Amino acid sequence: MPAGIEPASPRHPLGADYDTSWARRYPARVARAAILESVMRPTMAVIASPARRGLDRLDDVDGPVVFVANHHSHADTPLLLTSIPEPWRHRIVVGAAADYFFSNRVAGAVSALAIGAVPIERTKVGRKSADMARDLIDDGWSMLLYPEGGRSPDGWGQEFRGGAAYLAIRCNVPVVPIHLQGTGRILRKGRTLPRPSRTTVTFGDPLTAGHDENARSFAARLQAAVAALGDEATSDWYQARLRAHAGTSPGLTGPDVGAWRRAWALGDRDRRSRRRRRRWPAL
Amino acid sequence: MKALQFRRNLPRYAAARMAGSLTPGRGAAAGPLKLVDLDGPQAPGPDWVQVRPRLSGICGSDLATVDGRSARYFEPLVSFPFIPGHEVVGDLADGTRVVLEPVLGCVSRNLDPTCRPCSNGHLGNCEHTSFGDLEPGIQTGSCHDTGGGWSTAFSAHPSQLHPIPDVLDDEAAVMIEPTACGVHAALAAEVPDGGVVAVLGAGTLGLVTMAALRAYTDSGTVVATARYPEQRRQAATLGADQVVAPDEIRRAVRRITGSRAIGAPGLDETPTEGIVDRLTGGADVVVDCVGSSTSLTDALAIVRPRGRIVLVGMPAEVSLELTPLWHREIALVGAYTYGIETLPDGTERRTFDLASELVTEAGLGSLVTATYPLARYRDALEHAASAGRRGATKIAFDMRDEKERLL
Amino acid sequence: MTGHLAPRPGFVLDVDRNSPPIVFHHGEGFRLEKLPPGRSRVIYPAEPLEGLPDPDSAIREALLNPIGESDPLPALLRPGMKLTIAFDDISLPLPPMRRPDIRQRVIEAVLDLAAEAGVDDVHLIAALAIHRRMTEDELRHAVGDRVYDAFAPDGRLYNHDAEDPDGMVVLGETPHGEDVQFSRRAAESDLVVYVNINLVAMDGGHKSTATGLSGYTGLRHHHNVHTMRNSRSFMDQENSALHASNWRMGKIIRDAGVKIFQIETTVNNDTFGREGPLALLQKREWEWSARDRMQFLGMKAGLDVMPTKVKRKVFSSWQAPYALTSVQAGEVEAVHEVTTENVYRQHLVPVEGQTDILTMGMPYICPYNVNSIMNPILVMCLGLGYFFNLYRGRPLVREGGVLIMSHPTPWEFNPVHHPSYIDFFEQVLADTTDPVEIEKKYEKQFAEDEWYIHLYRNSYAYHGVHPFYMWYWGSHALQHLGRVIIVGGDPAAVRRMGFQVASTLQDALEMASDVVGPQPTITHMKNPPILMADVT
Repeated sequence: MPAGIEPASPRHPLGADYDTSWARRYPARVARAAILESVMRPTMAVIASPARRGLDRLDDVDGPVVFVANHHSHADTPLLLTSIPEPWRHRIVVGAAADYFFSNRVAGAVSALAIGAVPIERTKVGRKSADMARDLIDDGWSMLLYPEGGRSPDGWGQEFRGGAAYLAIRCNVPVVPIHLQGTGRILRKGRTLPRPSRTTVTFGDPLTAGHDENARSFAARLQAAVAALGDEATSDWYQARLRAHAGTSPGLTGPDVGAWRRAWALGDRDRRSRRRRRRWPAL
Repeated sequence: MKALQFRRNLPRYAAARMAGSLTPGRGAAAGPLKLVDLDGPQAPGPDWVQVRPRLSGICGSDLATVDGRSARYFEPLVSFPFIPGHEVVGDLADGTRVVLEPVLGCVSRNLDPTCRPCSNGHLGNCEHTSFGDLEPGIQTGSCHDTGGGWSTAFSAHPSQLHPIPDVLDDEAAVMIEPTACGVHAALAAEVPDGGVVAVLGAGTLGLVTMAALRAYTDSGTVVATARYPEQRRQAATLGADQVVAPDEIRRAVRRITGSRAIGAPGLDETPTEGIVDRLTGGADVVVDCVGSSTSLTDALAIVRPRGRIVLVGMPAEVSLELTPLWHREIALVGAYTYGIETLPDGTERRTFDLASELVTEAGLGSLVTATYPLARYRDALEHAASAGRRGATKIAFDMRDEKERLL
Repeated sequence: MTGHLAPRPGFVLDVDRNSPPIVFHHGEGFRLEKLPPGRSRVIYPAEPLEGLPDPDSAIREALLNPIGESDPLPALLRPGMKLTIAFDDISLPLPPMRRPDIRQRVIEAVLDLAAEAGVDDVHLIAALAIHRRMTEDELRHAVGDRVYDAFAPDGRLYNHDAEDPDGMVVLGETPHGEDVQFSRRAAESDLVVYVNINLVAMDGGHKSTATGLSGYTGLRHHHNVHTMRNSRSFMDQENSALHASNWRMGKIIRDAGVKIFQIETTVNNDTFGREGPLALLQKREWEWSARDRMQFLGMKAGLDVMPTKVKRKVFSSWQAPYALTSVQAGEVEAVHEVTTENVYRQHLVPVEGQTDILTMGMPYICPYNVNSIMNPILVMCLGLGYFFNLYRGRPLVREGGVLIMSHPTPWEFNPVHHPSYIDFFEQVLADTTDPVEIEKKYEKQFAEDEWYIHLYRNSYAYHGVHPFYMWYWGSHALQHLGRVIIVGGDPAAVRRMGFQVASTLQDALEMASDVVGPQPTITHMKNPPILMADVT
């Protein structure tokens, strides 16, 4: 070791090595549930006015699952945690970027306690993380992962990496795709103050990896599923199904054009967010 | 002579009103009506004659008077003390049986020249009423000078008397006056050919009106409301095509006329399509033989735009939303009493003559359900007031056995 | 679900001195009645069958592997085609079931295949014939929010309108001279997919389309007194003139070139749930625990003091946890055979012989008062129509016997849903209760009344002629029975219908003795949950 450099204290590992098992013990879980219900839920109600769709698609699912969602803002995780129903709601861990959320002890502790975060590498999932994930799932914990690896820089999505798909295949659990609409307006990457806006959380039918499917192709399927859910949220379900089957679902990653045109097209997508409900007499 | 006299006595009047509001007809006992012995009637004029009643009917207006419910409108038109009773069949001194036409017009009041209505035979519209040689009183039965039918003798002007044939029995004869009201009302309705007529109320007035509609107009469907089973039966016999309970009349008229209906909006957002609050179409004519706020509101709800409501039942003060009257250009006409009628074919007849014929044809004498001697006037008036409920129609006083009569 | 023993079939209990009192439904409430021992029996429905473990897969399987002469559904779908999906209306199932409704599952599966085939022109029609239109909430409940939001806003999901002069066509006449009137949209479609819930054996088969998508011109040929009297019973397809007529019409529809892909489903009779406040209504009385007894008494006490409006709200909010027991798709008649077997599997209870008296407790709900009021005419229809006809072979009560029903029968009508019923009750029944007379004298006028038609098309009202059909539904029973007595009913309303009223069951039994003699035998039909008696 070069002189003048302090070795990292072996008793307090950071990053992907941060140990979060304490946060899954009973007292921590109780505290986290309290934070979820008394702080996050009302806050989300005010900031995000969330509309939650497709929850009935989870009716026939049992056991732990992996939830994957597109990622636009820090508001995503609290929104999802308050949207995911029982029995997964209070038995879930969130895969958070090891280098960001676990860069120091305080950040790591807060992340682990408040959102049940576990450290995951952004790019390629390491052996240790994979084992930890498998152990968690075997113990009945579900996982929430963002396959894009990080928040989108400009409002459109990024390609899904294979990590979530890989974990799901390895642990043999279904994956529930979720699409988040509108969170980018609340707290875009680069902003610090949230701006209230309407959001839609759309749950999709669970997907299971095929017999011989590899992580890459499964990841592509997951991305298509989330894209189709996005289509469903911004237009209607049937149009989304038509386009999904035809392969013409508007992609998550947006048009392959310059920045201002991408921003312009982003505004176009959200035409349906203000839906006019005709009041029929309630009988 | 013996007579039921109505004196001016304010405390008793108030007592009558209170008693009458608790139990209809009970005003008779508490009120200023008393059975008295009087010297015989004094003829108000040289040609007046004495009539000895045989039967005298009790009418809805009499009951209102007895219960203190009469409108204050009538106060200048009556003279106290008076003897009620205007539906009379009686004997003259020479034994001729006569029926009384009680209205006191110019001729009875010795006014010359007579006013125009009186000249045309419409005594009920006399424009000199309460003037002339007589004390105020629109008819025999509310005038001090003439006396009235609820006694063993009273005075009548010859122009008021109609001799009747022997074949007409007393019960039929006493029904002639109320039937004349019904005939007058039926003709005042001006029913169009085949028109739909709704008659509200199946007491005496409603029933005789139904009979008159059938006999003297070209009515199509006649629907009547009746509250009691006996009334329903009689209404059906006398010419109503359908008889319904009062709260079913709106739907019944809707069905008959095929009209659409509007529901009344409430305070909340509950839907109202399907509720029949008022019709957009309606009956051509509604004859209201009840005269209450409820019946008039019903009438306004079920008559067609530009239709006609004939108010026959004497109303007192009623509370009424008149917007429908204005908006749908409805005619609301009063029908008080008889005189000369113009039939649909143009001929002119005296109402009383038409009534006599109708009484015979339709057997209306059977509507006299019970009679009482003058001494049992309290029972008689209570019975009359609750007639419908007790399955009765017309109640009358029977003087034929009074010994005072023969004096 | 796991841990339960296999569901027990329905059976007949002979009442003896030790039998506990039986729970009778009584509208929005219950009565406990003791039946005379030694000559009474109670028919209990079967316990609910287990539902299919994976309904969505079962549905998909059925669509890909049809029954009878039919291609699998994907083969029938192609781009540019006109597709119409018709589905059963608010009258099924009863009570309404918990989300997701079976129709939602089936319709989403069908639409997914349609999307895969690239079908754009899709209409979804609530096949309600001349029932009332469904509200937005009711449609959302039936087909789910996704399908509703995708099709309703632009007018591609709607209620059938049998009085739309441009929307109905006559496809022809059966050999018996019956007009076959049909929805124009359905007739002009390349494929009609029907989504059925076969709650009772009367439903389904050709009746789904021949009745559901028809109108008065077609319906009057089998919704009449003659047909209903010759349907013994109308729950038994083999012996039902109602079905024979519908089957004839079905052939005309097919011959006219309308292609129908029929999807039929059956549910178990888990009406009240196996856990929860109403579960003890599905338990046999002698198997009640002490806790059950206390809970029942508490519930009854609470209901007895609750105002009617509140009670109605409480009961109408109940949703049954029905589970799918079978799903089959393909050619109408082949599919319906399998469906009928499944319905019988859940409902049929073998019963030996008839009795002098039949008693039944009437629940708060029937097909025609969902989210509404059960007026006296509907009480008659449910009792003398539906429940009386839940038999195969012979009626449970002998000819000339007595029917005793328990229901408050209030003289109360919902004027928005049932406007023509009010007039029927006030005018028609005041004149006569004989269905033949009624049909002859009054039916046409009510069927053609403009206001009723207006309300049917624009409001939420049953068609003007519907109360007549309610009365005809009981015409077989009216002919068969010696007397009808309603326990606890409003006297004026009961008498208006030509029945007798009794304040207790004991009084009713005494009154019945006048007709059937002393010491009569009694059968009590404990329904719902639904049962159908197979009477030998």
